[in-house]
Amino acid sequence: MNSFENYNPISVFIYFMTVTVTAMICYNPVLILLSFFGSISFYITLNKAQKGKTHVFLFALILVSAAINPIFNHNGATVLFIMNNNPVTLEAFIYGVFLGIMIASVMYWFAVFSQIMTSDKLLYLFGRISPKTALLLSMTLRYIPLFSLQIKKVSASQKTLGIYTDESIPDKLRGGIRVFSVMVTWALENGIITADSMTARGYGIGKRTHFSPYRFKVRDFVLSAISLTLFTVSCVAVASGTTAFSFYPYMSQIPLSAFAFLSYFCYGIAVFIPTFIEIKEVIRWKYSESKI
Amino acid sequence: MEILRVENLNFTYSLSASETLRNISFSVEQGDFIGVCGATGSGKSTLLRMLKRELIPLGKAVGNTFYKNVPLEDLDAKTSACKIGFVMQRPEQQLVTDKVWHELAFGLENMALPSDTIRRRVSEMACYFGIESWFDKKVSELSGGQKQLLNLASVMVMQPDVLILDEPTAQLDPIAAADFISTVKKLNRELGLTVIIAEHRLEEVIPVCDKLLVLENGSILIFDETYKAVSDLRGKESILCAMPAAVRLFSRFDISTDCPVTVREGRRFLEENFSFNVKSLEREYYSHSSTPALEISDGYFRYRRELSDVLHGLDMTVYEGEIYCILGGNGSGKTTALSVCSGLNRLYSGKIKVFDKALSSYKGRELYQNCVALLPQDVQTVFLKNTVREELSDVNADFSTLPYDISPLLDMHPYDLSGGQQQLVALAKVLASKPRLLLLDEPTKGIDANAKLGIISILKKLKAEGMTIIIVTHDVEFAAMCADRCALFFRGSITSCDVPHRFFSENNFYTTAINRMTRHLFCGAVTVEDAYQLCLKNSKA
Amino acid sequence: MIVIKNKTLRQVLSIITPFILIPCIIAVGVFVLDEKYYALVTTAVAVLALVYFITGFERKQTGTRRLIIIAVMVALSVAGRFIPFFKPITALTVITAVYLGGEAGFLTGSLAALISNFYFGQGPWTPFQMFAWGIIGLVAGLLSTPLKKSRLLTVLYGVISGIAFSLIMDIWAVLGHSGTLNTQLYVASVISALPHTVLYAVSNAVFLWICAKPFGEKLQRVKLKYGV
Repeated sequence: MNSFENYNPISVFIYFMTVTVTAMICYNPVLILLSFFGSISFYITLNKAQKGKTHVFLFALILVSAAINPIFNHNGATVLFIMNNNPVTLEAFIYGVFLGIMIASVMYWFAVFSQIMTSDKLLYLFGRISPKTALLLSMTLRYIPLFSLQIKKVSASQKTLGIYTDESIPDKLRGGIRVFSVMVTWALENGIITADSMTARGYGIGKRTHFSPYRFKVRDFVLSAISLTLFTVSCVAVASGTTAFSFYPYMSQIPLSAFAFLSYFCYGIAVFIPTFIEIKEVIRWKYSESKI
Repeated sequence: MEILRVENLNFTYSLSASETLRNISFSVEQGDFIGVCGATGSGKSTLLRMLKRELIPLGKAVGNTFYKNVPLEDLDAKTSACKIGFVMQRPEQQLVTDKVWHELAFGLENMALPSDTIRRRVSEMACYFGIESWFDKKVSELSGGQKQLLNLASVMVMQPDVLILDEPTAQLDPIAAADFISTVKKLNRELGLTVIIAEHRLEEVIPVCDKLLVLENGSILIFDETYKAVSDLRGKESILCAMPAAVRLFSRFDISTDCPVTVREGRRFLEENFSFNVKSLEREYYSHSSTPALEISDGYFRYRRELSDVLHGLDMTVYEGEIYCILGGNGSGKTTALSVCSGLNRLYSGKIKVFDKALSSYKGRELYQNCVALLPQDVQTVFLKNTVREELSDVNADFSTLPYDISPLLDMHPYDLSGGQQQLVALAKVLASKPRLLLLDEPTKGIDANAKLGIISILKKLKAEGMTIIIVTHDVEFAAMCADRCALFFRGSITSCDVPHRFFSENNFYTTAINRMTRHLFCGAVTVEDAYQLCLKNSKA
Repeated sequence: MIVIKNKTLRQVLSIITPFILIPCIIAVGVFVLDEKYYALVTTAVAVLALVYFITGFERKQTGTRRLIIIAVMVALSVAGRFIPFFKPITALTVITAVYLGGEAGFLTGSLAALISNFYFGQGPWTPFQMFAWGIIGLVAGLLSTPLKKSRLLTVLYGVISGIAFSLIMDIWAVLGHSGTLNTQLYVASVISALPHTVLYAVSNAVFLWICAKPFGEKLQRVKLKYGV
């Protein structure tokens, strides 16, 4: 499959960074809504109807943000009502909604990012900056499942020694510390075997390379180039104030100049790239299956 | 052509007063398959490590080791790391990275090879070892046998000339162990790889070795072709006890023919030297007490609701004062059965009674005080303190009442002990609660033949004190020697249960080497002792 | 990601980064940019500090066994979270730093944060969290001599750093939320997180009180036996 997750991690990383950073710096309702819909559509193409909890959580977050901001923030000219001697304003409320949508969209982006950027890919990225840190991370990721399994074994054998029960909280805590203490010794002492196995295979004799099964193909280059170009457009737009929008004291007009439109257009394309790629792949599969 | 040569090697560990290796000299030809044997403490591991520059222990070494006539210390770092491969005992601990492909690439990354070369070598090796299907997996998802194969493959990917294996199958079950050994043999046969292997379990290894190097107290006792070396072992009990059954039987007699090594040769040896008038030994009828110590009736267990049953209609009764061995393949549920008996897991259906009282009616620690104790498979899970003495006082253990002497170990750190000694300390800790029912999970895993004999005698003493013992094991020889009754576990329940000599005689494959050797000649001979007694009665002279 | 192949350039960059770039970013953040960009600026600072630290670690020779011990400590602090009532990241970071130095402490703290977020969710907060835990380790490493001597001091350091950590993360949460540092909102969020913070501080204190010495001994033994 040629889906978005199969692009080179570098391009994927660049894509996510450009899209989320734009969302975080723009403070423009149009761009934020684009980011929100782009992230949600990608999330849904990836997960279909599953993981409904994320949606519930993030929509609740928007509501909470809309409720909290007017309580703590009293800027704005249009007073809706007075609460505890403080004015609750329409602008603060709308700003709360806006912030909520921005945060939710960033959370959606990070949710798909975590889903796509498996530990393998993150290690590949780290390997480009620091092979040693990448190795350290890889070793740690190898240890964690081993240790979790060992923790289960240790709790079982400590329990049958009849020294503690798990009936009261202090007893449980004591048990936890015992188990953890056994784990520390076990892990440190046996780590030496790992160290031997590393030196036996020549670790530490000099500079090492970082192997990874990922290759950088033309399409990866294309994706990175497109994301960076589109990002530059939106950055220039934000920095020059073309897309500037203010909430207080009155909400300003939504910027509608030609350049502002160009930046909306560019960002609009950017946020829907992954969804587009996924749908294109599905159609291509349907098509080639029908030929088989 | 000579590939390795050791000249007058002596070695003393930095904290030790006496030499661990003394005057070791030998030479290894290219393509040799050499087995290194000797009791624990004879210096096997030290010798193997002395052959791999990166792993030479801290201490004082005198003498020289040459690889292709170059002293080890003069080799350049890359040659030394690549050309001599080393695989150790514990499969999980040798893995460095989290993914199978990364583990294979690890050594080549250290050699700073470019990505394309690494990709080619790694894929080639994955094909040769048949690990393509798990190439993308996390290493934590592999079985023990697969892990050890991966360790071997990730050493082989560096294209070594010499492969050194330090007890590589000690932590594996018999099937995975045999698999591993046959892979090593294949490498030796097909690639001409030189192999030097030390092993506890020699039944499968000795027949594939060209030469044996026998160590005793740090010196070479014998270094000769396998067939000659094994015939010279008469009287060396500490070495002999690890040898294949045919060698042990042969050494009991003073017959000057070639020493048999395999089951087939052992049978021919018996056929040529003995008559077969007396078919079986007279045995006392086994009678157990009538009070059950543990009763499980129609037990069902699964780990999670959506998984399938691990225990499936299990019926099992163990009587007071008997040693009951549960045998069976991997995943047959025998370890789970033990965890159910020890109250760590609960049946979702069925009854379990311990000393005539339902297990669920034991409250709090009651079950683990003067009642049930479990010696876990991984004994390191019980060690908490810095010395054995502190370990024992941690559970208020009185080591003077133990059926064995632990006092020489008291001031040592538990992790500085050998596998067999760790087993003894852990057992002392477990026995501190004065259990009446002792459960042991794979007590012979990773320990040498002498320690195994030690465990057998301890268990017999504990039984004589009235303890009931349930053992889960893969080790058929061990079960044949110490069990009162053996049971075969298959798919979550017991399919057969009998006294050892009948239990093993009725199995065709899942039985001891002696039984396979003698099944057409004698009836019910399962241990070397049985066969020896029968042979005495059938002497031709 | 930028890959700098030239060695001298890399060295120059690594020296310049902390002394020029980080203060520059902070200055730009404070004087030029609007306060609503504070969250972004702090993240950028955290990322740069991490990159700086990691390149430094990359250049240095680290013995295999030292590397293993750090990996073990990171894995233990993440895996330990699966034991009920346990959140050993701060405590283990402090212990590692005290016995193996500030660099090991920084790595343990920051990598533990990164990896535990694999299980509990990555977010924009990841770099900042890595940075904060790293600093806890780094400072503990600098204070290692007094901390090694006094158990009380170690516990005190653990408690203070634990509380500081949650206070700072709250600032970040407020910044991340409303873009401005709204004091009322900050106080509200600190108060709502209070039971959690107290529990965390107490568990840190108990853990360090009981474990600092024995765990230190275990580390010490491995250090001696295997010459780390």
